Formats: sequence, C-alpha cells, structure tokens
Amino acid sequence: MSLSVGTAPKSSEDAAHKRPKIVTNKQRVTWVTLVLLVVVVAGVAWGLSIGSQHISLARLPGALIKADQPDELILQSIRLPRVVLALCVGAALAVAGALMQAVAANPLAAPEIMGVNAGAVFVVVLAITVVPSLSGAPTILLAFGGAAVAGVSVMLLAGSGSGRVSPVRLALAGVTASSLLISLTQVLIIFDENSTDSVLFWLVGGVNFGTWQDVRNLLPWLVLGLIGAFAMARPLNLLALGDDMARGLGQNVERTRMIGSALVIVLCGAAVSVAGPVAFIGLIVPHIMRRIVGSSYTVLLPLCAVGGGVLVLYADILSRYVKPPFEVPAGVVTALIGAPIFVYLARRQKVTS
Amino acid sequence: MTSTAILAQHVRRTSLAKRHPAILMGSLGVLAIVLSFYSLSVGATDVSMGDVFNAVIGNTSDQAAQIVVQFQLPRVLLAWLVGIALAVSGGVMQGVIRNPLAAPDVVGVTKGAGFAGMLLLLAIPGIPVFAVVPAAFVGGLVAAALVYLLAYRRGATPVRIALVGIAVSAAFEAGIRFLLVRNPLDVSAALIWLTGSLFGRSMSSVLQILPWVLVLVPLIVIWARKLDVLGLGDDLAAGLGEPVEKTRRVLLLFAVALASAAVAVSGTIGFVGLIAPHMARRVFGGRHLASIPSAALFGVLLMLFADMIGRGLAPPLEIPAGLVTAVVGGPYFLYLLVKTGK
Repeated sequence: MSLSVGTAPKSSEDAAHKRPKIVTNKQRVTWVTLVLLVVVVAGVAWGLSIGSQHISLARLPGALIKADQPDELILQSIRLPRVVLALCVGAALAVAGALMQAVAANPLAAPEIMGVNAGAVFVVVLAITVVPSLSGAPTILLAFGGAAVAGVSVMLLAGSGSGRVSPVRLALAGVTASSLLISLTQVLIIFDENSTDSVLFWLVGGVNFGTWQDVRNLLPWLVLGLIGAFAMARPLNLLALGDDMARGLGQNVERTRMIGSALVIVLCGAAVSVAGPVAFIGLIVPHIMRRIVGSSYTVLLPLCAVGGGVLVLYADILSRYVKPPFEVPAGVVTALIGAPIFVYLARRQKVTS
Repeated sequence: MTSTAILAQHVRRTSLAKRHPAILMGSLGVLAIVLSFYSLSVGATDVSMGDVFNAVIGNTSDQAAQIVVQFQLPRVLLAWLVGIALAVSGGVMQGVIRNPLAAPDVVGVTKGAGFAGMLLLLAIPGIPVFAVVPAAFVGGLVAAALVYLLAYRRGATPVRIALVGIAVSAAFEAGIRFLLVRNPLDVSAALIWLTGSLFGRSMSSVLQILPWVLVLVPLIVIWARKLDVLGLGDDLAAGLGEPVEKTRRVLLLFAVALASAAVAVSGTIGFVGLIAPHMARRVFGGRHLASIPSAALFGVLLMLFADMIGRGLAPPLEIPAGLVTAVVGGPYFLYLLVKTGK
C-alpha cells in the first residue's frame, strides 16, 4: 500500500511530516513529471528543426505564430502536425496498454499483443480497398469495430480452455491472431496497391505522413479516452487488489472491465487508423512507468500518456536519422526498442509460471 | 499428457492407416505428384496437362509448354524441397523438445535465418548466392540458441519456449523491417523476406537447397528410432543406453539447418513446419519412422496448395505462398492452443 500515492492530493504537507515514505515517492513523481516535460519540450524543438531542410532553433517561436517564408510554411504544415501526432498517438497507445493490463489483470496484455491493433488495421485497410475515397471519421469508427472484434475473440479463444486466462496463453493466442490479421492485411495491400511505402506503413506504423487532418480526426477520441481513463483510476486501483477484494470494497468489477475495454478500443482504434500499428508502445511504456513511479493508476495513467508521447516522438526523430533523405516509419524504431523488452517480460517467472 | 490421450483415441479410429502406412503414404505421394503436374499447368496462361507431361519428359517442341516448364518447374520443385525441409524440421523439433507447439517459426529459427540471409545479401552486394544458406544457418542457430537460453529457467516449459520464441522472432522481424527500410526493395522482393514466397525463383535456388535436403532428411529418417526413444522421457531414454543430450543436440542442429536452408531460398514461410507434423501424427500415429516421412509429404502438399492458391486466386497478381500458409496456419495454431489448454 505504500505505493498508493496521489489519492489525497490536498494534505500533502501534512503527510510530509507523518509518512515520509509516501512523500519520497511523491517527490519522485514530481521529478519524473518535470523531467518528462523537459524531454517533451526538447523533443518538440528537435523534431521541428531537423529534416531535409534544417531550421535553426532561434526561428522556431516566430515561425509558430506566422508563416510567411517557405521555412515557416514547412514548419507549420508538415513538421508541427507530425510532432503533435507523435505525441497524441503515443499517449493513446500507452494509456490503452496500461488500461488493458489492469482490465485483463495480465502483465503481457497490450493492444499490439492482443490483436487489437491488427484488427483495427485490417478493417481500415479493408475499408480503404473497398471504398477508396473513404477517410477521416468513418474510418475511425470502422477501426473501433475491428479492434473490438479482434480483442474479444482473442479473449474468448484464450479463455476457452479453462476458467482463468493465463498470461502466456493470452499472449500466444493474441500474437497468432495478430499474425493472421496482418497476413490478411498484406493480401489486401497486394490487391490494392503496389508500393512498399504503403505496405510498410500499414504493417509498421508511423507518423511521417501526419497532417493536421489526422490530428483533428484523432483529437476528440483521444481527449474522450484520456479523460475516461483518468476518471477510472480509482476503480482500477481497487481492481488491482483482485476481483474478490474489489467486490468486497463495493466495486462493480464487471462494469469497470467493460468501461476499461471500451476505452482501450476507442484509444487504439483512433490511434491506429491515423498512424498505423506503432509497435510495442502499449506494452513497454506502462511497464517502464510502473517501475519508476509505482503502480497507482492515479499517477501511472497521466505519466504513461506523457511517456508514450515521448517514446513515439523520439522514435520518429531517430527514424529520420536512419537514412537521411528518406523517412522511415517510427514503428520500425519502436519495434527495435520494444522487442528486447518483450523478451525480458516473457522471460519473467511471474508471467510464465 | 493430453496429446497422448488424443493420440490413443486416434489409434483406435485410424488403425488401418497405422497397420498399412505404406499404402496411405503411397497414395499421398501420388496425390502430390498429380498436384505438381496440375500446378505446372496453372498460371497466367493455361497449358493442358498432356502438354506439360510431354514437356517435362522432354519430347515436345510446343513453345508454351516449354516456357511453362522453364519458369514453373523450378517453382514446383522448390515447393517440394521447401515443404519437405520445413515439415521434417518441425517434426524433429516437436519430437526432440517434446512440445506440440514447437516449430521452426515458433522458436524463432525462421526469422533469425531470414534476417541473417537478408543482412548478408544487402551488406555484400556481389556475394554468390550459395553463401546465403550457410549465413541463414548461422542466423537460425543464433535465434534458436537465444530462445533456448532465454526460456531456460529450471527447465523450459512448452509455453515459455513458444512465448520467448515469439518475442525473439519479433526482434528479428523488427531487424528485417529495419533492413527493408534502409534498402528499399520492390514490393515482391520485400514480401519474400517478410512472408516468404516462391515467386520468380530459378533452378539455382533449387540447387541451393537440394544438397541439404538430400543429406539431412535421410539421416533423420534413419535416426527416427532415436526420436522415438527420446520421446519416452530423458530418464527412460538414458536407461535404454541413448546419450540423451548428444542425440538431442545433433537432431536439433539438423532441424535448424533444414529450416534455414528453406528460408534461404524461399523467405520466412510460416506454419508449414508446425502443421504438417501434426497432420502426420493424426493420420499415422506417433512413431517417427512413419510420421517423419509422412510429415514431409504433408509439407509438400501444403506448399503446393499454398503456391497454387497464391498464383490462381487473381491471376496477374501474386499472393506470396507464405501469406496463404499464415492464413491457413494461424487458426490451426489457435485450435492447438485451445486443445492443449484443456
């Protein structure tokens, strides 16, 4: 229980005298928040200034307000939406991952592992193939459907053997369902369009084609999802104590699970339909954050949102250094970072015993 | 335990196949050969089966048939060799690790070999193609060793091997995608490395994989009894005078080599190594002397079907065989997973 911080924010000064342990953790949360914010600001500046046309940092503030010269236009219409989209997509996927781990009571649960992302991608690509003119809001709604169907099927499949779903079986079922959906997506791409760029975009995900339109499409769902998730923090904390305990404390466990899953689907569906399945964000960010600030969802969820944004932003920046004139999807970089962490998680005794 | 119970059921149900495995295996072989000829005749231009047969034995001047033989024959031969290599590799792995979920793609060998082969081809552009198979072998071996080491914690349970294998595969796949992004290829070449395909392969690919299959598969069939002995469990096998660790390592090495050779010529084709041995065990029972050769035949049939569906679904377009096997194999793996959980 020493980890539950932030549940009583007003009496922080009183608590400083009585319970020093919590305060250290609280200080740590403050520090982590500050560091993350600095990293975000630095990343935004860096992300805005690099590219095939280098724009010096001194000109950034002016360019953000008015766009007269070509450089400033580049900044406003190409780089800024890309940076904003990276932050939004990262936040959505990371919070979805944290929610999923809480709802499924399973450290390996994450949108990319449970087939949720692959389901959304498959439906979006199917829709684009059938109705080429489709874009924007309808695509996102379809993505919700794909994400929901895929996620629910994986849960049912993994759980059909026994009562409680073991983390490993869930992961195996989810990964297999994902690979099945990804294969079907590839078939559709072959029918639809013969360009490696679009293949890689829908298989890997990235923000390098991000526009203001994408940001506008994502933003309402992101806000809805994040507010919903933050409001769920207390029920989720209780859920972490176990179903019986949570029920004993007066929680409606099923309702918490349902709402949590719906939020996951909203966040993932929206993020995937604008940026593709950026890999491993939902798996690794919550684990890293939990390591640093403990497992109280009151602080964990907001920090995951910021942390996910940071990860995608920096992955996108790194991906521009891979082969300078070309831009690679950020998903390649996040996959390279995420895969070893996945190995580490898969290896842990707690997960597989 | 559950698998033995299920096997016992099937002993009763399909005892005919088990008493006379040669008959059923022979008919499977005939089916594969007929399918091969049919596969030669399907394509962008249809050629009659008779013409194809004449062209294969060499007494025709029909232009169309000759072209078909020149372009389709390597492909069909490759479907045979790759199917045999993957299926036998999977059969050996399932026998040696005593794990129904083991297969070259599940334990990461496929992606590891694919990454190494691709790395070599891209790093040294002028490299002779014959160097690809050894490179893929090294990659597959590294991946398999990684999976085993990472999964090992007071023994390696089937599910943990599968999970760590998926994680290691994901790492290598990320590597493959990274290489693809750094060195943009055209779509079909990219898809070969991402999913595996027999598209545009020539006789030189056939010659690359042929020696590996010709040497390793007979060796494994001769050692089939050792696989049976290993299946009894370590203690009992040691009691029967089998050097358990040594045999296991040699057999695994063979399995990795076969899978790597297949990946080097056809890319990362998934699920054949997983499904074919299961089909063989269902029909022919658990004795490896029968199940390994029949797994090879099922592997050939799977590859031929996958390649034909990929070519025939929307004629000018090619759907890589690896995609077809993934679409068929994914549900089967899920079914196995559900079954092993009960």
